Amino acid sequence: MNTNPISNTIITQTAAQLIAAVAEARDKRVPMIDYGIAHAGLGYAPPLVYTSLRQQADPSNGGILEHYTRDLTVRAAAGITISALQAALKPTNQFVPVDADDDITLGEAIDHNTWGPLRAGYGSLRDLLLGLHYIDGEARDIHVGGRTVKNVAGYDVTRFMVGSLGELGMVHEATLRTYAIPEHVLSVELSMIDPSVLDERGTDLLLSDAKPTHLSYCYRCGRAGASEGTWSAQIAYFGKHSGCLVQLRSLVTFLDSLPGVHVVGNSDVTLESDTAERMVRRAWRRTASAVVKIIVPPAATGQICKALADWSCVHQQLHIDALPLHGCIFTGGPLDGAAALSLDRLITDAVAAAGGLRIWYARPAQSDTAIDPFGSPQPDHAMLLKLKQTMDPHNVFNPGRFLR
Amino acid sequence: MSLSVNESSAVDRFRAIVGDANVISSRDQMLVYECDGFPIAKGLPTCVVFPTSTQQVVDCVKVAAQFDLPIVPRGSGTGLAGSAVAYGEGVLLTTSRMNQIEEIDVKNRFAVVQAGVRNLALTDAVIHTGLRFSPDPSSQRAATIGGNYATNAGGINTLKHGVTANHVLGVEMVLADGSVITTRIGGLCDGVGGDLPGLLCGAEGTFGIITKLWCKLVPNPRFFRTFYAVFNSTQDACKSVSDVIACGIVPTSMEMMDGEMIRIVEDAFHFGFPTDAQSLLLLEVDGIDQLLDEQMASIVEIARSNGAQDIKMCGDAKRRAELWSARKKAFGAIGRISHSYCTQDACVPRSMLPVVMEEMGRIGRKYGVRITNVFHAGDGNIHPILLFDEDKPEEVQRTLRMSEEILEYCISIGGTITGEHGVGVEKLHLMDKMFNSATIDTFQKIKKTFDPQQRLNDGKHIPSDRLKIELLTPLKNQAGGALVTQV
Repeated sequence: MNTNPISNTIITQTAAQLIAAVAEARDKRVPMIDYGIAHAGLGYAPPLVYTSLRQQADPSNGGILEHYTRDLTVRAAAGITISALQAALKPTNQFVPVDADDDITLGEAIDHNTWGPLRAGYGSLRDLLLGLHYIDGEARDIHVGGRTVKNVAGYDVTRFMVGSLGELGMVHEATLRTYAIPEHVLSVELSMIDPSVLDERGTDLLLSDAKPTHLSYCYRCGRAGASEGTWSAQIAYFGKHSGCLVQLRSLVTFLDSLPGVHVVGNSDVTLESDTAERMVRRAWRRTASAVVKIIVPPAATGQICKALADWSCVHQQLHIDALPLHGCIFTGGPLDGAAALSLDRLITDAVAAAGGLRIWYARPAQSDTAIDPFGSPQPDHAMLLKLKQTMDPHNVFNPGRFLR
Repeated sequence: MSLSVNESSAVDRFRAIVGDANVISSRDQMLVYECDGFPIAKGLPTCVVFPTSTQQVVDCVKVAAQFDLPIVPRGSGTGLAGSAVAYGEGVLLTTSRMNQIEEIDVKNRFAVVQAGVRNLALTDAVIHTGLRFSPDPSSQRAATIGGNYATNAGGINTLKHGVTANHVLGVEMVLADGSVITTRIGGLCDGVGGDLPGLLCGAEGTFGIITKLWCKLVPNPRFFRTFYAVFNSTQDACKSVSDVIACGIVPTSMEMMDGEMIRIVEDAFHFGFPTDAQSLLLLEVDGIDQLLDEQMASIVEIARSNGAQDIKMCGDAKRRAELWSARKKAFGAIGRISHSYCTQDACVPRSMLPVVMEEMGRIGRKYGVRITNVFHAGDGNIHPILLFDEDKPEEVQRTLRMSEEILEYCISIGGTITGEHGVGVEKLHLMDKMFNSATIDTFQKIKKTFDPQQRLNDGKHIPSDRLKIELLTPLKNQAGGALVTQV
């Protein structure tokens, strides 16, 4: 956990306020820190003295700068919350398909490349973003990308900022694609004995008519000391009612060839309730002392999940949430330091064998110096560091959070 | 054209690295490389080098550095903005012979390819698995994937399936000092920190030479419905496009040809298009077979409500292939009626398409330049085609001024100067109308982070603070046509 003393807290609502804050930070050599509210434990600790920054939506516009309803694009302030953004789009039957908690800001979602099951049907933020305005390390207002759905003028700094952990600049405005709220959402619950059965068949699923809008599975421990927990999967289809039924029938046929996987139930839900359900499933990540994100080749997802479940039965209870089509696993729980270290050893070995990476989003206090949050550097780490030095020469933004 | 001692020595070193057969230095042989798909400005390089491996690229780059020669990366040369041309001096380093598909991973849905693999060659290699490499520019038979990545190429199905940046997971790139960087980790869908593969995409060879790519493989759609509708005005067709988007339908493709282009294509290929139509909208949806008819019915209703005169459905694969062939061959048909042409590539908000097309016509009349349109209507990515004779300097100048007015207009309504072709040299002078000075400065600083000596394709894509490339009418029987000056 990052618990260093803060020298100051600034809340900004406009670009002008943000420019002034950054200029002051640059001139006084006091860095600005914004790790977000859902990602506060991600990264190395901030410096001893810093200014904490939060962006909020300007009350005069609620954070919606312009909604191009017929173009299905929206220009929004980075300080708008996800829930406010979705609420503003809803009257025109539109939404932004991003798996991000309601209370985080659009800026936080961009900084952390927040994505989830909906990536299967809609892509992630790097695919939804069309343009950004951000304040750079010299307190200048930089405008990249634009409003159109295709644009190759200038370097694609828009995409580069996604997932940059707020180290390259302060995003204050973003233009994104929106999509029509689906007429119908069909949610299907599956039971699974062995998650690795899907490892070999992910491509087949995508090639079939059962291709999901989103797919995830999760593991929930049994009672303490139980030898094993239970696996369940959630699939959803968005579209017209008739289309969702066609896809459900195709799914049932597909599952005939997957041993140990069965439809438990299906229900017609709204986008809102489907979104809420996905938020409930990931809610543990906001409070658990240990949260790790693992990225591996999709076909290795199930095997690694099984290894995590085996560990969970022996050591401490784990949540395991997997997005098998993308090879993404979130795991963790109320672990103590020793358990976190043990878990990290398991994950590090598994990732080394499969080829991948792991990121600790939260580490128990007893282990935060022993567990490196990011593991072995990626091959492009040195170039990312050079670009950080170029874009933020005075090291104003989240210094040392990742690139150091 | 004779080489200096320095240049001759460099050429000898290149031959030692890649072999005699992979170096061209005679003027006659290099004429093929004096331009890409943008013929207005031409330039001859010192030599053309064809490495076949990353190591050879590294070695050639180091030689170029040693002899202080700039480098211009090039794939197949199908680019349309003058990026892949050596104006002034420089080595044209062409990756088209780096054409090996190194790995295909069906379970994890990616392929590893050398930069010179042709776009369609990758899809051909995986199609039997039901997968494909999605970006489909009209040049896909010839264009390399490295070149697609360098320009963030689009194509006809980008409306639903995205552009090249959505389909490349990672790259290997050789920098100007000969060092090699690899982004993220292989074919993983995500990484830590800023999205470097995203930043490198579309940089038009100004950061480094792309040598390898991890390409996402996606399901190849099996079922389609295709139709074309004929309208009495381009505005009606554009409104149909806008209405389809506004109601939330995402077709695979929505392409449009104006009346002039319909006649040009019909004269050339005899597809059966009505030659008295003012515009033709070619539209396709893909997905689950049982659902497509209903989706198409909604779209047809929208077209009818906007005055579609004649709607023809495509019942079979053969006719579908013919229709898309007509679209993809449209540019080729221009050659029958005009000595030269220049294609613009602005992208505008889709809701503005009706007024944009009206303005194109007005600008064409103002300059007395014949203009025709074929474009990706669903993306708002217009391609006004300006017809002229490049041997007539006055026509060239009028065409350039007309292009500028078109692009300035598109910027004024929230559009961009280039949706998929790239800035190259063609649109460089408009970059300061697109971006404020701080942003241009940021671009220049980022460029120098990768290429501190500014040896790689300097003066392309973004304004250089070191040299300026000005477009001139190419002179007959004389190499070069673009003036390069030190800033």
